[in-house]
Amino acid sequence: MAAQTIAEAAILEGRQAQAFPFFGAERRGAPVMAFARIDDRRICDRTQVAEPDMLVVMDASLLDIEPVALGLKKEGCAVVNSPMRPEEIDLGVVARCVSVDATSIALEHLKAPIVNTAILGAMARADAFVSLASIQRAIVNRFGEKLGERAGSINSEAAGAAFERSREGMCRGERKMQRGNAWLPTWQETPPGVALGRWERGGMAVGPGSMRQNMTGTWGTSSPTYTRARCIGCQRCWFICPEGCIRRLEDDSLEFDLRYCKGCGLCAKVCPKEAIAMHRKGAGA
Amino acid sequence: MRAVRALTGNAAAAYGVKLCRPEVIPNYPITPQTIIIEQLADFINDGELDADFIPADSEHSAMSIAIGAAATGVRTFTATASHGLALMHEMLYAPPQLRLPILLVDVNRSLGAGSGIWVEYNDSMPERDSGWMQAYAEDAQEVLDMVIQAYRIAEDPRVVLPFMLCLDGFILSHTVERVEVPGQEEVDAFLPRFSPLNRLDPEAPMCMNMAVSPTHAMEMRYQLDRQMEGARQVIAEVDEAFGKAFGRSYGGLLDTYLMEDAEIALITLGTATSTARVAVDELRAEGRKVGLIKLRFMRPFPHEELREAVKGLRALGVFDRSVSFNRFGPVFTEVRSSLYGSGVPITDHIAGIGGRDLKVSTFRDMFALLERSASGGRVRECTWHGLRGEM
Repeated sequence: MAAQTIAEAAILEGRQAQAFPFFGAERRGAPVMAFARIDDRRICDRTQVAEPDMLVVMDASLLDIEPVALGLKKEGCAVVNSPMRPEEIDLGVVARCVSVDATSIALEHLKAPIVNTAILGAMARADAFVSLASIQRAIVNRFGEKLGERAGSINSEAAGAAFERSREGMCRGERKMQRGNAWLPTWQETPPGVALGRWERGGMAVGPGSMRQNMTGTWGTSSPTYTRARCIGCQRCWFICPEGCIRRLEDDSLEFDLRYCKGCGLCAKVCPKEAIAMHRKGAGA
Repeated sequence: MRAVRALTGNAAAAYGVKLCRPEVIPNYPITPQTIIIEQLADFINDGELDADFIPADSEHSAMSIAIGAAATGVRTFTATASHGLALMHEMLYAPPQLRLPILLVDVNRSLGAGSGIWVEYNDSMPERDSGWMQAYAEDAQEVLDMVIQAYRIAEDPRVVLPFMLCLDGFILSHTVERVEVPGQEEVDAFLPRFSPLNRLDPEAPMCMNMAVSPTHAMEMRYQLDRQMEGARQVIAEVDEAFGKAFGRSYGGLLDTYLMEDAEIALITLGTATSTARVAVDELRAEGRKVGLIKLRFMRPFPHEELREAVKGLRALGVFDRSVSFNRFGPVFTEVRSSLYGSGVPITDHIAGIGGRDLKVSTFRDMFALLERSASGGRVRECTWHGLRGEM
């Protein structure tokens, strides 16, 4: 949505633009990529962007999973959603960086940790290739049309707040950037019959078994705390957890496996005794 | 009034459909098509489109409803993708033979197993024998424009056949681009009201789709074959008329790019054409005489237009985004059959399968093989580009 909106903003300014996503499993919170190109001429190239002028990291926990800054151009700029100052952020390359606590801004303005409009304000701050005014107009168009006038205006305000609260600087480049050991077999090595789950290569599970590597617990913005003394063992939380993160122990008390918790908060919602409470994760909490 | 908007390929399809004022829209959701149907539901909800929106219980039912609706003489639209199109397969054979000019947008997506949600032409290519016209779009503007052209072509009394408009999943369906949306009045002026060939009407009863014995089937099929052949002329005319009315035309059955003095050329379809243009520009800048043929229709297939376009070529490559599992991709077998006896050496180039990113370098690799072929070097008849492992 952020990529689409920046493209729309450029088109509103009379330029040519292109924006497209690439995602895998269709589930909220899963890591996705989106690309945008802006030009004064017709854009024909439809390949994914490997060497961007601007890199936007909507969730700083991705930095620990993927070497996201690997292709960033030398003179390029990174925009990172983080409560940290640029100097505290280790992107793996030293680069011009704008940081903004878009999650807090989204929670203030939208009452939900949906950061794709707030981050647009920081993008306008990082580079004036599209003006904040155009971005806000595009947000009002895009969100207003789909979700009503108020959605348009509060999202536009979130972008404005992010523009004001963005911090500029240089990020650190200490982290070693290496691609994960993705298992890319030749056609001869590919297991026949697409039964990929049974195969393991170099400690890397592929296909259905790969959840052992994909710790989806990094996706959420909040996580539960459990007060055992208040728990009456009704098991409602255990029943409702969509990720199977709650384990039932012998005495009917519970154990939370936060490696896979996405912070949806359903467990806290169904608990009749307030034995479960949700809290913001990360330094901004 | 014309308006410039930032639209995805899917939204462009929906805007085009709205401008054509269909009266019945049977549908069933499937990624990456669903947003077309959702957008149309929004239009109806907001009072911008007056159509019956019929959620079906499967794609098989959606196509069945479309057939029933079109048989009563109303303009009908539906959209699907991948497995949805496969489930429609049985019903797809009815509209051509019943001469019902339904418009179906297929957002190309690979068919499983071994499938994802990304683009591959193994959903639409198998349907080219069903009797539907079949076109492929390169960008969002062309999607919108072709929706309007499609109804005018399909409903032309010289054609009266259903139309399948294909667009690449995600690379086009979910990509936002600058799109000029025509005004309602100019579309109304370009696209006359639908007047059906045959119509189910309780006041004047007729029988449609009865069992056909061997005494009649052959004539019906030949008639259909002639209609498809006749559509070639109408497609060219409608494209020209569209150009006059809206200022954009696409070349009809095929388009060419820098072909005037080209010695080697590649045939592409869908969004691959866009990235291939970049490769051609790069090679031209290096002084190489390369060109591009953009195949826009698989049915009717531009046999004669192609023979004209390849005159003087020393090598021709064909891009295929699906496989026939018999050495070649389907576009290649069609092209080579059309060009039999032309003397131009033709090779097949399979790439982008399952949505694998097509890079400018992928097309440069194809041209490199074509140059080798043109200078008498040995080149495989079919090359898989980007495949891991020795071929």
